Amino acid sequence: MTLLLTLFLAVGLSPVAPALAAAPGGADPMSQDDPGVIPGVPPGTPPPAEQVGPIAIAIGSKIRCPVCQGLSVADSSSPAAVQMQRRIRDLVAAGYGEDEIIDFFVERYGEFLLLEPTRDARNLLVWVGPGLAVGLGLALALRTMFAWRKAPDDVPLPSDLGQAAKDKYEQRLLAELED
Amino acid sequence: MTVTRSSGPKVNWTILGVGLLVVGSLVAILGSGFGNDPHAIPDTRTGTVALPWRMVDLDGKSWSLEELKGRPVVLNFWSTWCGPCKYEHPLLLQAAKATPDVVFLGVIYSDDPQAVRRYLQKAGTAYPHLVDDNGRVAIDYGVTGVPETYFIDKSGTIAHKEAGPVNPQLLREMLDRIRR
Repeated sequence: MTLLLTLFLAVGLSPVAPALAAAPGGADPMSQDDPGVIPGVPPGTPPPAEQVGPIAIAIGSKIRCPVCQGLSVADSSSPAAVQMQRRIRDLVAAGYGEDEIIDFFVERYGEFLLLEPTRDARNLLVWVGPGLAVGLGLALALRTMFAWRKAPDDVPLPSDLGQAAKDKYEQRLLAELED
Repeated sequence: MTVTRSSGPKVNWTILGVGLLVVGSLVAILGSGFGNDPHAIPDTRTGTVALPWRMVDLDGKSWSLEELKGRPVVLNFWSTWCGPCKYEHPLLLQAAKATPDVVFLGVIYSDDPQAVRRYLQKAGTAYPHLVDDNGRVAIDYGVTGVPETYFIDKSGTIAHKEAGPVNPQLLREMLDRIRR
């Protein structure tokens, strides 16, 4: 029994152990084969273990499931979304922040993956457009309402018409009746 | 009798101009979307260097893109639960046999390796099928569903990504391109 325990500890503490624990194919856990690594981007300080899940879900809720209709990867149970959410969790656990993780997915799938478009010049119309349209509509409605209110003042009453205008009107009316 | 026509309602050119501008912009934006497939996912990988990977095939042999440098590679993501994957399978087998200088590799997507083995015993195979743990490589390549096939040229650049089953003409064209 002691011999077995010694052997177990020796194997566990030897440099061979990480290789045995690595992904099939002998992938180095710290290489780009590691799902918790973004090549070329150093990770920050990992969050406490109990916060990894909630942070990963918050990030996953901002990323579109590529095979679903309007669902985030956090909300979908499709194979693609489950794999992506798992990857997000791995990256959060490794210490990557939200921006780095979102950039990682955008680089691979394109900006279409973002449920909320980025606030840059290209997407200006998306952000400003609705407000602008509402503002314009409101301005137009107010303008029309003021025009309605002013209308009675602008239209001359028959009593306000001069004698010449009245005569002209009566002459035209009589002429049309005679015809 | 002489009929005098009235000049008609007065035109407010400001409102008309703003209205035309707003409506014209909307029509232009909506019009630019006509003809586009709303479900199509943009391809960001074609023309970029294929990201390195290391995977193990069903026989336990390790494969890496690094080791295949200088050779054209066809990477086909597929699964046994996908009908179009089975539809294109005989075509890929035929192409793999006809072009031995091209490395054909199947990548098993969200599937049980045992189910894949059973299917391949029946349908036959001519190239290795790699196990993609947790879809790591699929995510790196921006795979959104199966089948998806990546044609990687000798320099390691993704020459084309085909989402959906390949057809004989496309396969011929792409193989010619990555073998150059």
